[in-house]
Amino acid sequence: MAQDNLNIRKLYALSSENKRFCFSLPLKHNIRIGKREYEVQLKSDEKYGTYILWKNRKYPVEIIRSRQNKYEILFNDISYTFTVETPFSIQRMKVLSTTKGKAEKELIVAPMPGKIIDVLVREGSVVTRGEPVAILEAMKMQNEILSPVNGTVVKVSAKANTNVMKNDLLVEIKL
Amino acid sequence: MQIKRILIANRGEIAVRIMKTAKLMNIETIAVKTAVEPNAMYLSYADVIFDNTEDASEIPVFLNIERLIMIALETKANALHPGYGFLAENAYFAQKCVDNKLIFIGPSPDAIYKMGNKTVARQIAMAGGIPMAMGHAGNIANEEEAVIVAEKIGFPVIIKAASGGGGRGMRIVRKSEDMEKNFIIASKEAEKAFNDPSVFVEKYIENPKHIEFQILGDTKGNVIHLGERECSIQRKHQKLLEEAPSSALDDQLREKMGEMAVQIAKAVNYYSAGTVEFLLDSEKNFYFMEMNTRIQVEHPVTEEITGIDLIEQQIRVANGEELKFKQSDIKLTGWAIECRINAEDVQAGFAPDPGKIESIFMPTDSYVRVDTGVQANSSIVASYDSMIAKLIVKGKDRKDAIKNCKLALDKVWIKGTKTTLPFFRMLMRHQKFQDGTFTTAFIEKDLDKFYLNSEYEEMLAAWLATKLFIEENLSEDSINIDFEQGKEMSPWLLNKRINQF
Repeated sequence: MAQDNLNIRKLYALSSENKRFCFSLPLKHNIRIGKREYEVQLKSDEKYGTYILWKNRKYPVEIIRSRQNKYEILFNDISYTFTVETPFSIQRMKVLSTTKGKAEKELIVAPMPGKIIDVLVREGSVVTRGEPVAILEAMKMQNEILSPVNGTVVKVSAKANTNVMKNDLLVEIKL
Repeated sequence: MQIKRILIANRGEIAVRIMKTAKLMNIETIAVKTAVEPNAMYLSYADVIFDNTEDASEIPVFLNIERLIMIALETKANALHPGYGFLAENAYFAQKCVDNKLIFIGPSPDAIYKMGNKTVARQIAMAGGIPMAMGHAGNIANEEEAVIVAEKIGFPVIIKAASGGGGRGMRIVRKSEDMEKNFIIASKEAEKAFNDPSVFVEKYIENPKHIEFQILGDTKGNVIHLGERECSIQRKHQKLLEEAPSSALDDQLREKMGEMAVQIAKAVNYYSAGTVEFLLDSEKNFYFMEMNTRIQVEHPVTEEITGIDLIEQQIRVANGEELKFKQSDIKLTGWAIECRINAEDVQAGFAPDPGKIESIFMPTDSYVRVDTGVQANSSIVASYDSMIAKLIVKGKDRKDAIKNCKLALDKVWIKGTKTTLPFFRMLMRHQKFQDGTFTTAFIEKDLDKFYLNSEYEEMLAAWLATKLFIEENLSEDSINIDFEQGKEMSPWLLNKRINQF
């Protein structure tokens, strides 16, 4: 395996919107924009915490999550999710995507701790993408929890006037 | 000065704001320390801290009338400033202060009551001939009457539940033929939701601008206005950005609306600072909405273009002093923009993102003013609002203010929670914001993305992800894990990464 690693010449960072950023190895600390190259540095100190220095400007960065080859990065207050792939794994993904089916259900969880004010669906309700399924109150604001998918509600765990923690299951939808 | 010691019945940036002015006036202040925020920044500005951390009451102290009065008496305060929110517009609380010989720094209980009650406020405005969206003073009996009223005020109209709120029981009707059906539905919805089927009809103002006038009055009957603020950049009635003046008003319209605002305030013998809210349609017709009987979050933009300290004026008026200036003395100079930097996730529909602020640095340029109650290690707690700081930026005109705001936004550094900064960075570059044609529907209708999307920044983030991947998987001292097999990362590796960052 170690031997294999040395043979990797390129890595791809794929964004959640399927944008592909290619970096050749060994990873350079210069990024070319047009005709000029700019140095990029990852730094950390007590005053600012972790940041990236680029073109004389500091950008706050935070590694929110990393799981296997998936990274969620907060860069200048915007979070980005990338999967880092080798040329080999990209090839394998292509094969897999043609053989493996899609997920069958979607779990809607509480995006933040708060109180459920109202549950707007019942078991058996047909929901469309973007339709509110529950209202969650947090920090004096009522937030509509929207369904990310089209489907049928198969389970409702959320109850009105109860408190929920972040990531508690609210509604399960069959696609 | 009769006022010697003020109890600040509030927290956060507004508590800091009030105490700063009190200090300049050599007035002592008392702040209340709560169990939720025992290390809050505002406490360091007070002369006296009342420790309320042992309070076992279920009501938060800033909403607890009896307790606040008790604290004021115990700490020998002779005045009380309610700030905004909490009990600021509670007439009973203001009356309780008066009853206990505490000077309430705000309007009279009577004015708070009259303006707080929508029906009373509307009757007052209607009696004064103030233009209102409301076409009829009372409820509508049936669909025939609804058609008559709607034809009188002109379509489109909106049917609203008399006991309602929150959008339920509301129906927009665009022509007479659609009235019957919608009237019945609205009435049924109102009965179901509020146990009261009564509805009324208002003119529906499409894509209005939210324009409000700052009012200042004294106890001698003088009332003036300090110009307008434009607060159309709002999401679900939560204001995000305010500016003063508004590009939608010229001197003539400003004078006309200002006079109306003063007239409304005079009708309730208003004193102290207050705000009269209007909706302005695309034909420059304006309609009275309501009056807020408190200092507002967005008061700094008015201070910046008038040079008047509104908190100082509130204190002086409460002290019984007469206003030192007349309407003709008020000159609006330059432009000011306020961005509300909140702990919210703009990528998740502005969901609150409470947490600990690890580091915060705000710009110190001469064109910037920052009002905040947060410093490094402060926590944004879920029990209060999500505000971190108000970034107030000045310019000689609107274009200059936007240019300065763009620069200032890039100098703000906050780590620990996600913030609304990416929204403002986008907004400053948006054509419709720049040309001033935005309305209250802007966020819902004109935006497909709520944040600035910079390709370079995304590329740098991708570079960082790649770098982390290499360090975890490909560097010589890393453990070889076959990430493609779906194994979890070893704790040893995680530990190493945590130490690195």
